[in-house]
Amino acid sequence: MTVAVVLMALFGSAWLLAVIEGWTTTGRLSLAAPVLSGLAHLGRESIVPRSPDRVFFEAAPVLLLVVAVLGAAVLPLAPDLIIADLGTGALFINAALAYVLVALIMAGWGPDGAYAMIGGWRFLGQLIAYSMLIVMPITAVAMRAESLVNTAIVGSQAGLWNIVYQPLGFVLFFIAAMALAFRAPFDLPIAAGELAGGVDAEYTGVRLAVLRLARLTLVVTLASATTVFFLGGWHGPLLPPWAWSLIKTLAVAMSMLLAGRYLPRIREADLMRWCWTLGIPLALVNIIIVGLLVLVVP
Amino acid sequence: MSATQQYVLLLGIALGTVGVVLSLYGVARSMGRTRREPGKDVPASAGILSRDPVWGRYHARYYGYALLFLAFDMEMAFMYPWAVVYKEVGLVALLDMGVFLAILFLGLLYGWSQGALRRQ
Repeated sequence: MTVAVVLMALFGSAWLLAVIEGWTTTGRLSLAAPVLSGLAHLGRESIVPRSPDRVFFEAAPVLLLVVAVLGAAVLPLAPDLIIADLGTGALFINAALAYVLVALIMAGWGPDGAYAMIGGWRFLGQLIAYSMLIVMPITAVAMRAESLVNTAIVGSQAGLWNIVYQPLGFVLFFIAAMALAFRAPFDLPIAAGELAGGVDAEYTGVRLAVLRLARLTLVVTLASATTVFFLGGWHGPLLPPWAWSLIKTLAVAMSMLLAGRYLPRIREADLMRWCWTLGIPLALVNIIIVGLLVLVVP
Repeated sequence: MSATQQYVLLLGIALGTVGVVLSLYGVARSMGRTRREPGKDVPASAGILSRDPVWGRYHARYYGYALLFLAFDMEMAFMYPWAVVYKEVGLVALLDMGVFLAILFLGLLYGWSQGALRRQ
């Protein structure tokens, strides 16, 4: 029962996000558009390139979708609305999200196409840039909650949300989450203008549909993680807990897409330099500030 | 739920997702096959088929970062358990990890000064 509700919320959010994105791009509000374009992909040819690494080629879209779903499975929508409240939930989501890299390298390597492969390896560089900015803010969150259990992390924010308690961590995590989901200013592995679609380039038909669904679901999962770690999860007045979780998740996801629309794509060299010379020192400062706050403020 | 049950549940969800995708593939296959036509399966490459496999061609110019990343990633393995007991242990924990982080941070500064933090 819980499983069905959480998965419906996940894919429902992804659908709503696709509807809103279509609305803001085309100016037409069409609830059926994402479903119809998905179905249209089913009817199209799904071509396998000339000399593929077949296992990698087939596994990549599936793996990306599985990762997004598993990440969402350890995040609570309400105190008892969570699929698996793991003792190491905050660590599990890191482990799951690390496979985004594996999936993209597979998608790049598999088809034996030059653009796809550059996209895949480029994402490895992107991981080296953003990865520390995912894990270090989560550490600071765990320090405050004294736990890696995700429901306990939300519980620790009952009085004061982490976005107020550690705003620096929130900003870093938000940016890194966008880089992880390879959304617009950080869409280096896709890079429509320069790589002809990058890792997307060789996928067609139903495989492309799965890849796109996975990518959208990943955004929702990361928005949900941001909500749980920094925006107080289900806490909020009047409305029931699950409603607050969904509202916050959608708001975060939409702000990610919105930010992507107005920012130019960043260069890989710049991304890495800024992450390592600015981001990581700031993340360490954040850990020290939170460490002092936890000890000083009761 | 015990930890084992939780992991079995997660495994079940992973397998279920794979199953959904496979059935989607099945539906797509039942709607029609890919027609074999010459040149259709050439990867996107400006119309010219590359002479060699592309697999050997990418220079990982970020290897300087990658080496530093290894050090930081190992450090995170220690930081998660540390973060959980941090408040309990108190100031000692802050100083312990502070020394550790300071050494690591000096390493980052050293690497930076030696030009590791740029695309090679």
